[in-house]
Amino acid sequence: MDISRRDFLKLSTVASTAAVTVGLPISEMAEAATKSAEAGWRWDRGVCRFCGVGCGIQVATEKGRIVATKADPDAPVNRGLNCIKGYFNGKILYGKDRLTQPLLRMKNGRFDKQGDFVEVSWERAFDEMEKQFKRSYRAMGPTGIGFFASGQHTVQEGYAAVKLFKAGFRSNNLDPNARHCMASAVAGFMQTFGIDEPSGNYDDIEHTDTMVLWGANMAEMHPVLWTRVTDRRLNNPNVRVVNLTTISNMSSDIADIEIVFKPSTDLAIMNYLAREIVTRDAVNWDFVNKHCAFAAGPTDIGYGMRGSDKFDYAAEKDVNAKELTMILNPQEAIAQGKQTGARVDQKNRATPDKHWLITFEDFKKGVEPYTLDFVAELAKGDADESLDSFKAKLRQLADLYIEKKRKVVSFWTMGFNQHQRGTWVNEQAYMVHLLLGKQAMPGNGAFSLTGQPSACGTAREVGTFSHRLPADMVVNNPAHRAASEKIWKLPANTLNPKVGSHFTKIMRDLEDGQIKWAWVQVCNPFQDTANANHWIKAAREMDNFIIVSDAYPGISTKVADLVLPAAMIFEKWGAYGNAERRTQMWREQVSPPGQARSDIWQIIEFSKRFKLKEVWGEQQVPGLKEDGYPDGKLPDVLTGSGYSPEATLYDVLFATPDNRKFKWPDAVSKGHENHTAKLLGDHWFPEKALFEEYAQFGRGHAHDLAEFDVYFRDDVRGLKWPVVNGKETHWRFNEEYDPYVKKGSGFDFYGSAFKSLPSGNLDGITNQEKTSIAGKAKIFFRPYAAPVEQPDENYNMWLCTGRVLEHWHSGTMTRRVRELHWAVPAALIYMHPEDAKSRKLKREDTAWIESRRGKIKATVETKGRNRPPKGTVYVPWFDEGVFINKVTLDSTCPISKQTDFKKCAVKIYKA
Amino acid sequence: MRNNFKLISFNLLACLALLVSATSHAAQPIPANDMGLSKGSVFDVPEPKVSHYPSTAPGESSVLPRAYLGAPPQIPHDISDFLPITAQTNMCVACHNQPALRGGNPAKGTVVPIPVSHYTDHRIPHAKTGDNLINARYNCNQCHVPQSDAPALVGNSFSSKRKR
Repeated sequence: MDISRRDFLKLSTVASTAAVTVGLPISEMAEAATKSAEAGWRWDRGVCRFCGVGCGIQVATEKGRIVATKADPDAPVNRGLNCIKGYFNGKILYGKDRLTQPLLRMKNGRFDKQGDFVEVSWERAFDEMEKQFKRSYRAMGPTGIGFFASGQHTVQEGYAAVKLFKAGFRSNNLDPNARHCMASAVAGFMQTFGIDEPSGNYDDIEHTDTMVLWGANMAEMHPVLWTRVTDRRLNNPNVRVVNLTTISNMSSDIADIEIVFKPSTDLAIMNYLAREIVTRDAVNWDFVNKHCAFAAGPTDIGYGMRGSDKFDYAAEKDVNAKELTMILNPQEAIAQGKQTGARVDQKNRATPDKHWLITFEDFKKGVEPYTLDFVAELAKGDADESLDSFKAKLRQLADLYIEKKRKVVSFWTMGFNQHQRGTWVNEQAYMVHLLLGKQAMPGNGAFSLTGQPSACGTAREVGTFSHRLPADMVVNNPAHRAASEKIWKLPANTLNPKVGSHFTKIMRDLEDGQIKWAWVQVCNPFQDTANANHWIKAAREMDNFIIVSDAYPGISTKVADLVLPAAMIFEKWGAYGNAERRTQMWREQVSPPGQARSDIWQIIEFSKRFKLKEVWGEQQVPGLKEDGYPDGKLPDVLTGSGYSPEATLYDVLFATPDNRKFKWPDAVSKGHENHTAKLLGDHWFPEKALFEEYAQFGRGHAHDLAEFDVYFRDDVRGLKWPVVNGKETHWRFNEEYDPYVKKGSGFDFYGSAFKSLPSGNLDGITNQEKTSIAGKAKIFFRPYAAPVEQPDENYNMWLCTGRVLEHWHSGTMTRRVRELHWAVPAALIYMHPEDAKSRKLKREDTAWIESRRGKIKATVETKGRNRPPKGTVYVPWFDEGVFINKVTLDSTCPISKQTDFKKCAVKIYKA
Repeated sequence: MRNNFKLISFNLLACLALLVSATSHAAQPIPANDMGLSKGSVFDVPEPKVSHYPSTAPGESSVLPRAYLGAPPQIPHDISDFLPITAQTNMCVACHNQPALRGGNPAKGTVVPIPVSHYTDHRIPHAKTGDNLINARYNCNQCHVPQSDAPALVGNSFSSKRKR
């Protein structure tokens, strides 16, 4: 911790030249001083730009600039608290290198993929974008284009993007970065409950006695929820907090019990808990008989990799071959009731989500091998801990869950979701809570937290995934397409029934040359996608055109062909939905700088360039064989539709007669501007009109949103959907709270997806006849499966990646705030001191981190907040200079298609 | 399409602004390698830089300027021996918990007291300010961070002007 005298002087000079301040000015005298200092400031509500917690903030503006923000004392989520990032919601707008003008790669006045970026007008930018779009679309149809969307898109932006792509261009190649973040949670919800998103809410923290963190370092990733957990724990001696993790971290510092386990063995620990519940006769049979059914699925589902070695580097081939055939190790064999060394062809790669009903007796057979001895041996993650100590902790964990009077909440985020069996492990969390009847009631429930501010509100509820439509509907369900076509006033069969490419697949499609035009909004996919060396090369060297809308330059803008300057959060109107189903809105507070424009304006303005005759005629879609569609083709739907072939997508999708009824200006604006409405012209209010149109999907279907203006009422700080008769829903599926629950049922898991199923046993289906389990949730048996890549003699350590408290995602916003940058200037490689020593490394040395896929350098840290066990290193991904996704493996959960960023094999050596 | 664009977004001023900026910007082409926070090619591997946090002991350093009115103060002294904050031990609170000194302006070398706001439980309606730190505020480093000597990556024009 040495600091040179010169550096110290530098710090002191900064301190003495600026106004020196001390203490928060909340005492009475100070409060008066504050009031006078704030004279002339306009305060208005906002929502934090960063994580999925969804803290309410207040934003102060003066003379067209944001001058301060504060945590909203009236917001139920955070009650006047923010984390360190949250305090810089204002400052992130003012980095000196904001993008303020479209930039096109050019040579000699023409677009050239090898050219440097040249400032151009929006018109020139859209001209090139349109020309390149039409080139790809004419040649390849709807599958030749792609859209990288975002869990940071506002609700309205995501909705506009879905509508333009799915209804306009008839392409399902639209997928959000939220695929990397909570797709496994979605698949877990859909398979277990038949409907997405949590039953509980954050008040569960104050209602419960026990909080179990499964691979969720809430202290850093959900800091304000962690203040609530800490408050609850420290105020109540009987409350217990357990942290299950693969590395010791900040959450362990408050936890009562820390359980360090080996990557992927959470699957085994869950089955140990299930086995304990069964053998201790602790199943809540009243609950299970009334409200649950047992289920299982195939285990030979692959690892979400390509299944072809055509694009592999030589070093990648051995691991990638396992996608097709895996040889079971002894523990995996026991866990799956198979022979050690068995070669298992991954026959269900195309149907990983298939599942069927089983009996309780079969379920019991499934969990039988997961004894304490077996699981402890398999799962113990810290070589320095004794087996007895680890066993004792597992037993304590089981005791806490099973104790009849104890309420339990299980939290998870990326540790479960970014997992080669992410869907399974999500389902196992519900398995434990459902067996105990501790679900969907205050203080009891398995609670999937989310990473991004509108992963729930936009990616999931609006449905910006390649398989989704709004309100949990999917493109491959004819009834869902018909319902959407009706609301959107589209001719029948406009929507494409073939599920599009997921986020990582869009990258693979760029490398394959299957996608030649891709638009990025509100995310940084070329930094955040695993195995990045492939994708940055594809972007720069293949024949394609990549458009990146962003506020600041980063890795993705550097590999783009066209950069569009985007307005940031408080420079536009918007809505976010957080992890407890709370929808929150804000007004435009300040104007975007220069030529920067909102993402929604970019989408809607671009739609003006397309006539129906260019998109709604017959379109080729390879592999399309759904009912009602000719093989390989989307039909011409324009002829006889009543729409003019010359009508633009702007008129048909966005500025529709219904939407134009929402006029701008509007009283709800209270004097705030709307640059989007002004630039589009036509005197309509796009954010309000599109929100109300979107709300039609969910109202009456258990996804009810309130009217737009309600969210701006003084007494409202967001509302948890479904909002029925003006009342929000605190706990879903519970008769006491949820108006959608059948009267007299007590609990009703009314989600309708996957509720009619064949029956079988652990090995497969034995009776194809379908049984309805309407109103019930499923208790899945899911076995332990070993990670596809594990440390070996060459790549001999585990690599885990993740976030840090002080920076948001790829750091493009927070690293431009010096207070945050100085707090955490660079991503470090956290490692055990003995692992460093055995590699002749010490703290502050530079080390290479190398995998089969790439290598990068980082500075070694052997102490500090992350304390990995021997054999594991942790590297955060926020730092574009420590480009860790060049090293990570792009294996996904085969069901959810979410990448596992938490485990791959690396070697570390001195640089 | 070009005409369409102009006709529909008939905001004349906006169009003029577009034209003016398109013609008046004779800016130099920007190589991609000059963009972003890590200059150079995305295919290169940058050399990591080591930075350090202050080694000053508490009481010896000056209070750092606050980012804006109401922003949490940064930590100006060495905290390496004070972390982690655990359920059992909180070295920050051990020193800064000075209810008697609240609201005053401490002289250099004396401890900056935890402010009144941290003794009021906002989760309880109309809560009174007490003498015990609210446990929701227990994890000090969720808001208060040390500042290293790393060079700033890029400027920022945020200004709160009147910082009190």
